[in-house]
Amino acid sequence: MSTHDADKIIGFDRSHGGIVRSETQAGIPLKAVYDCEDIAHMEYERDLADPGQYPYTRGIYPEMYRNKLWLKSFIVSYSTPEETNKAFKENIAAGQTGLRLLSDLPTQIGIEPDHPSAWNSMLCGGISSYALDTYERMLDGLPLENVDYELAHAGISSALLFYSFLVAIMEKRGLNIAKLRGSAINDPFRARIVYDCPDFPNEIARRICLDLIEFGAGNTPKWKSYAPNGVDPQQSGLDAIHEVAEVLGVATAVYSDLIKERGVNLDDIGATVFSMDAEADFFETIAKFRATRRMWAKIAKEKLGATTERAMSLRIGIRTSGLSLQTQKPLNNAARVTLQILSCVLGGVNSLDASSIDEAIGLPSKEARMFNLDAQHIVTHEANVPLVVDPLGGSYYVEWLTNEIEEGANKVLAEIEHRGGMWACLESGWLRGQIEQGRLKEQQEINKGKRLIVGMNAFQGEEGPINRAIKDTSYRVPSKKLRLETIAAIKRLRKTRDQQVVIGALKEVYRATKEARNVVRPVIEAAKTGATTGEVVGVIRMAYGYRYDPLGEVSMPSFINEVTRGEKGG
Amino acid sequence: MVNQEKKIKILLAQFPLESHSRGLITVAGMLRDAGMEVILMGNARSEQIIKVAIQESADVVGISSYCGGELALGDELLSIADKEGIKDHTIFVLGGIFPPNNTPRLKEIGFNAVFPPSATKEEIVNNIKSAIAAK
Repeated sequence: MSTHDADKIIGFDRSHGGIVRSETQAGIPLKAVYDCEDIAHMEYERDLADPGQYPYTRGIYPEMYRNKLWLKSFIVSYSTPEETNKAFKENIAAGQTGLRLLSDLPTQIGIEPDHPSAWNSMLCGGISSYALDTYERMLDGLPLENVDYELAHAGISSALLFYSFLVAIMEKRGLNIAKLRGSAINDPFRARIVYDCPDFPNEIARRICLDLIEFGAGNTPKWKSYAPNGVDPQQSGLDAIHEVAEVLGVATAVYSDLIKERGVNLDDIGATVFSMDAEADFFETIAKFRATRRMWAKIAKEKLGATTERAMSLRIGIRTSGLSLQTQKPLNNAARVTLQILSCVLGGVNSLDASSIDEAIGLPSKEARMFNLDAQHIVTHEANVPLVVDPLGGSYYVEWLTNEIEEGANKVLAEIEHRGGMWACLESGWLRGQIEQGRLKEQQEINKGKRLIVGMNAFQGEEGPINRAIKDTSYRVPSKKLRLETIAAIKRLRKTRDQQVVIGALKEVYRATKEARNVVRPVIEAAKTGATTGEVVGVIRMAYGYRYDPLGEVSMPSFINEVTRGEKGG
Repeated sequence: MVNQEKKIKILLAQFPLESHSRGLITVAGMLRDAGMEVILMGNARSEQIIKVAIQESADVVGISSYCGGELALGDELLSIADKEGIKDHTIFVLGGIFPPNNTPRLKEIGFNAVFPPSATKEEIVNNIKSAIAAK
């Protein structure tokens, strides 16, 4: 063996592991150095301004994290309400400040546990919250005033039902619903382009979304009834520029409807929350948050008529990228998650739900979730990152990149406008096509080695006992017994509740839907009677002339005839 | 044995109710690239999957699973395939996110190949081809 070969083997070859690309993850070409020329056209007051000042590029509060740290939130959802309740209490004790609620996949899309298609995903990823009592057990002993709850579900029916459950519980406990805090995603675009939710067709989803915003503005002012979502479209294939355009486009489309059809203005709603993604590309992610705040401020003011500072200032809630996490050598995911947390804090986000290091293997273990919280505590208390607001503000590169993202996203928004707007782009499948193109481009880059992912297509290496231990902790599938118990429980509920009261309440849901009145109050009252999620979804669908079961697999329960009787013109 | 000259026909589906479709769509693209004819079915129950597999004379049935039903519903799928008489001449493969120690159990149930998230395009294509050759 020559000396040269030996050097290579023990890693002295400096070109090994060299850079393979010169553009960001979204494809923005980069120079090696940026200087004052690259941002010469910028004006401080117009384009940046101090934190807390329009256009909020540098953050929405003057002192940001000095006054209030970001909300530390993540989804904690196990198979049963009791397990989930216990975990909530433990996580709050460990420093979690927001409870992110999720249900199993069938419930999220309006399907009940005894539906023939429910078995596979029943109790996976969350409880089966088919009726109010499941929420009462899940939230037993937990405060409902002044704690942040987030509803992260896929379907619009979930936003409607689970918001109604929260309000119903507060009213049953004698609490003031005006003190309900938190947010619901309630995004009809995400429900279609990412999840293709069968619960509500677009016309119903579009209307219920507005009902929720309208009701929330009048009754639960601290609750954000709508948080346009960029996370899941990005995770499905959009790049950072398209994510920014998509989430701004969605917000503009829904708020334009709200102003026109309901007479509710942005000023009545206050600050808007976007749920966005923190991806692998560090500076691009930071620049993305800064650009989105600035773009939203301009849209809110110039397009949507906002006049208050609150209505122009965008809060950003984050879910860090689950897609970026790898099965191979999962210990490396700790580095990925930490970098993503750091990009969020440097980008001035307002809430953070970090993915877990074992997320590519299964649902997160408790210890992995604690790592997420501890990593945020380390960034805060050991690394001292949040002591100064927008610490990268003024960096030639970061300011230039922020401008590039704004310019790119504006081009996409102009194309959407040209194609008839967001709703037209949803109906025509153009938005879905964008996701598919993005996904294809990403896959090609990975295949060609233009995007290196450690452990996956580069630096594979060996897995040792630490990595194997992470893999061994993945979650257990809900047992057959637990699934059968859940099916028995919903059947028992249907038998033991006061059926006439349920019918009366569902009748009101049906009528309100048909008569184009706001359905939220009738749904809250129906929830209190023990009406189930599938029944509420079915009755709303029928008021629009659709079949009862979203999947068309089960027939309508016979008592639904009494709900709809006399409402079809005799 | 399936004629190697013929284009391999593969039916891809997920057990309901699955919302994680990115894996399935990505693999569909890889298999098309490799010259296979792909029928993308999406969410479907076992009996529906087998019905379409028979109608389309699929050489391969591929399942993508993320929600934990792979053992129970995989078993159901292969039982129905057996009853309908296609198990012996059809290849069944499954991929997705599931506990690593389910792989041997899925093979016991009757899946000819099982792909964890780390599986590469080459592994998937080669395993399908060699499973067909071995039948």
